[in-house]
Amino acid sequence: MKNSMLAAAFSLVGLGLLACPWARADSDTFMDLRSIPALQGDPAAGKAGSATCAACHMQNGISVVGLFPNLAGQHAEYLYWRMRTIQQEARADSPMTALLADLDDAELRNFSAWYASLPPADHSDSANGAAAHASEGARIWNEGDATRGIPPCQGCHGRNAEGHPLAAKAIRWRLVPVLRGQHADFVIQRLKAYRDGSHTLTSSARMMNGAAANLDDASIEALAQWIESGDSM
Amino acid sequence: MHRQSGHRVLLAPLGGLLLLAGNIAHADSGIGVDMWRGNVLDPRGGADSRPLDPRGTSWLSPRQRRSPSGNLYLCPAASPEQTKLGEWLFSGSLDIGFVGVSGDEDNALWNRYADWEDGFILGLLQLEFLRPRDGSYASLRASRISDDDAYFDAMFGRAGSYKVHAFLRELPNALSDSVRSIWNGVGSNHLTLVDPLQAGASTSGQVGAASRAAIERQISVNRSKQGLGFSIYLDPRWSAHADVSNEQRKGARPFGGAMFFNFPFPDNGGILETLRPVDDATVNLNTGLRYAGSKWRLDFAYSGSFYRDRYTRFDYEMPYALSPVIPGAVSAPLQRGQFATEPDNDYHNIKAAITRKLGNAGEFSLTASLGRMSQDDSLIAPIDCQGVFGIGLGGSLQLGPQNPFLFDCSQWNSNAALPRTRADMRIDTSLVDGRIVLHPLESLSVRAGLRFNREDYRGSWLAFNPLNGAYGYVSENGAQGSVVPGEVGFWYPGAGASNLTRIRNLPLDLQTTEATLGADWRISEGNSIGADLVVNRFEPGNREREQVDFRRISLNWTNRALDWLTLRAKLSHLRQSGDRYNYDPYEFTFSSSLPGFVEPEGGVPAHTVDALRKFDLASRDEDKFSLIATIALGDDMTLGASLNGMRNDYDASLGRQSYDTHGGTVQWDWQPNPRFMASAYFGRDFSTLELANVNDQALDPDPSLGGPTYPLDAVWSDRDRQRNAYAGASFKASLKRVAWDGNWTWVNARGSNNYAFASPSALAYFSDGSSVPGNAFPDTRYRVNAISMGLRVPLGERLSLRVFDTWARGRFEDWHYAGMDETRVIEHRVYTDGGPRGYRNNLLGMLLQVRL
Repeated sequence: MKNSMLAAAFSLVGLGLLACPWARADSDTFMDLRSIPALQGDPAAGKAGSATCAACHMQNGISVVGLFPNLAGQHAEYLYWRMRTIQQEARADSPMTALLADLDDAELRNFSAWYASLPPADHSDSANGAAAHASEGARIWNEGDATRGIPPCQGCHGRNAEGHPLAAKAIRWRLVPVLRGQHADFVIQRLKAYRDGSHTLTSSARMMNGAAANLDDASIEALAQWIESGDSM
Repeated sequence: MHRQSGHRVLLAPLGGLLLLAGNIAHADSGIGVDMWRGNVLDPRGGADSRPLDPRGTSWLSPRQRRSPSGNLYLCPAASPEQTKLGEWLFSGSLDIGFVGVSGDEDNALWNRYADWEDGFILGLLQLEFLRPRDGSYASLRASRISDDDAYFDAMFGRAGSYKVHAFLRELPNALSDSVRSIWNGVGSNHLTLVDPLQAGASTSGQVGAASRAAIERQISVNRSKQGLGFSIYLDPRWSAHADVSNEQRKGARPFGGAMFFNFPFPDNGGILETLRPVDDATVNLNTGLRYAGSKWRLDFAYSGSFYRDRYTRFDYEMPYALSPVIPGAVSAPLQRGQFATEPDNDYHNIKAAITRKLGNAGEFSLTASLGRMSQDDSLIAPIDCQGVFGIGLGGSLQLGPQNPFLFDCSQWNSNAALPRTRADMRIDTSLVDGRIVLHPLESLSVRAGLRFNREDYRGSWLAFNPLNGAYGYVSENGAQGSVVPGEVGFWYPGAGASNLTRIRNLPLDLQTTEATLGADWRISEGNSIGADLVVNRFEPGNREREQVDFRRISLNWTNRALDWLTLRAKLSHLRQSGDRYNYDPYEFTFSSSLPGFVEPEGGVPAHTVDALRKFDLASRDEDKFSLIATIALGDDMTLGASLNGMRNDYDASLGRQSYDTHGGTVQWDWQPNPRFMASAYFGRDFSTLELANVNDQALDPDPSLGGPTYPLDAVWSDRDRQRNAYAGASFKASLKRVAWDGNWTWVNARGSNNYAFASPSALAYFSDGSSVPGNAFPDTRYRVNAISMGLRVPLGERLSLRVFDTWARGRFEDWHYAGMDETRVIEHRVYTDGGPRGYRNNLLGMLLQVRL
């Protein structure tokens, strides 16, 4: 009995070990960002080379055009991997494609570190106050909409859109962008891209594809307005 | 309520629910009826049919997550490939093929819960529809292995809104494949002797020949359960649910057939193993309304259960004649025995619970519930006989004063012999439970609770026969009183005025009050200790103690200070004691409490020995420990080990004296990536139960141990040991669409029973003290060794083939069934079930898996 028991056990383990080399991860153009290292960059070097960036995103990282996102105070890891994604996607219709095409990895790191070091826009004088708080956008942000399968945004982006509360402790949460005060036009563009499945290249995008899948245009508009208002809950 | 088709039960509410679902759009409560459907081919409800998801568990982290106890969570199955059908996404698969069994294919233990049959099977049919726009979904899952093993599971709804869920589940349960019946009518409630046996007139030799000639057959009890559930969010905070299920059981199982003792009277009486029918239905109903707000939670619920048995009673023919112990007398020709089946009964419970969140993550909750268990089934007559029962003196079976031990069946064989014709009994229950959890410090959690529970018996039963003024119940279907004069089981004036017998029911009212107090303190990051104190007062009615108190203190320690190690330890001590132990609180239930009772010469015999302590009320000390270590060997491997032990010391010279257990396990898991996982485990556990008792030697009033009724030389003791070992290993691997899996399980369980006795007086039937050498029965053993392998290969874009094989061997030894292969009829004892048998089987299966 003992012999047959041992034989069965060894056979199983042996067969399993033989099978083990089969196991390997997929590798294609998909960018799996779930185990990225902390970003190392030189903010001073980033500042020195940021003249072209500043043309749209401004020297202080707070743009004045709605389609150009604010970069000041954004997580460096988010900025870096966003630029890497733009390079990988190489969309012909994006002005960023040409601007980033020739930048090397060190430059991307430096720009990311520079804009992350800038103070974000000040929303202490947010004028919308209670009205924004009571808006449809605030409701979706805070509670989601269970009847439509929409999760609450604050679960990942923070209660007041200041980013994930654990971003300082775990690198993966620094891929979740700070959204407070972000331009509504930019937010609308991004949410529609996630919803419609035109941005799927990264693991982060895959997460947002699901989160945005059931947002209709009106909800996206409402969310974007609330985010741009810079109001707090 | 009477039994009805489960399908009818389902259809009526389904129509109403469908109409309701169409009008209200809300959410999914997650509550359902019997949520898990599966069978031996699909034990995890379809999860095994899908490869693991190569993307891992979550887009947030590439690593396998670990549970708070340090174990790896299983990698999830891959999402099915979906096809667009307008607004809907559809996925479906069909597994169809055949299985073939070789070896001991009719073996009951092999077929238990499976009922394998050679031939075509529906491995799995799975259809899923999703509409992302609003979260609507519908699904169907079905499988069918044999006539008695199939399931069907369907649901539809809208995420966050409502869900309707219906199922059908059939579960075979083969009990034995070695039954030889001397009766016809197995499965019905009327067993008649096979030809040429004659009721009340057959010899042991004739019955033995009939038993040997009977074809060995399988008996089983198969279940079929149907259910329907509905849940809905009335708004984001209020939800409601209603679930109903109906389970039917049908078949037969070995049962008793008492016609007086045969062991001390080799050619008399009859101990029969009959086959009782099982044909019943249970309807369960659960419904509730819930509110979940940010501060308050409310829960109102009703649950009901309604059991209905098709039969009120079953009867069987008795093959043997009875003969009296008095020379020259004659026994009544009894031919039939009977049993009542389980009574129809109803259960209702209503519950209300309220929970309030307090500051610092504290919480207070209060729960109250009321319940009622009732039965009011028709009662059966005390005996199923015609003519007379008992003993006729002088060879005459004529009723009259000359025959004080002969009784008229007509005064006992109808409901007129009962004080009422229906049971009319119930138990009311009530419960109040309050709990509070506070966090006075960030590192300190304190909890307290108070629980009050009552069970009140309503209704009483006095076994009075209005036809003749007797009290009690006819014992052994009249057989006892037809062998020994006057031992009829009932008290009656005259010759039976000293009969000591039970005449009334025993209400076991119960009140339990329990207070708990506990705290957890996080000493440092990853290091915490806790303590709990439970004080319980148990106040049973009409038991040996009016009050039993136990106090349990437990300490626990959890350490996660090291990233790779989670340690959990728990230690507890319980002390149970109570007020004075009254060894005999049952006097009022005996005929000796009747006004006309005549004390027999020498006094009323003791009901039991005064030194006996019943284990649930006995004073005792219990110590328990457990130690669990979970070691993370890197990100993808876990080694776990556990040790546990328990010691119970009872303050009893007779009764249960000790119950000790200890054991340990080792488990290893490895999930290097989603395409490969392997695990192995090994465990051992041991238990020892020791008890002692005394054989009564005289009908004497003295209840003391060492007295004439219970002398010390009649004391015996028993030591029951159980030793179990179990092991297993499994792996699952895949390369693109080729998948391979293997599984091995091994169980080796051994039970030993040793006994000791002061003298042959302690033994019931082995008066010479040497009939069973070695003071031990042979060990009972249960050994199963099974290995299975499976391979799935793609045959095309939508087609794959799964080939699987299971080899299994089971070996069983049970001395209770020793000699059953040679004969099942010994003197007047008739055994029907030959006991469990070993098997060595191979199951080969092929399934064509089609992605629809």
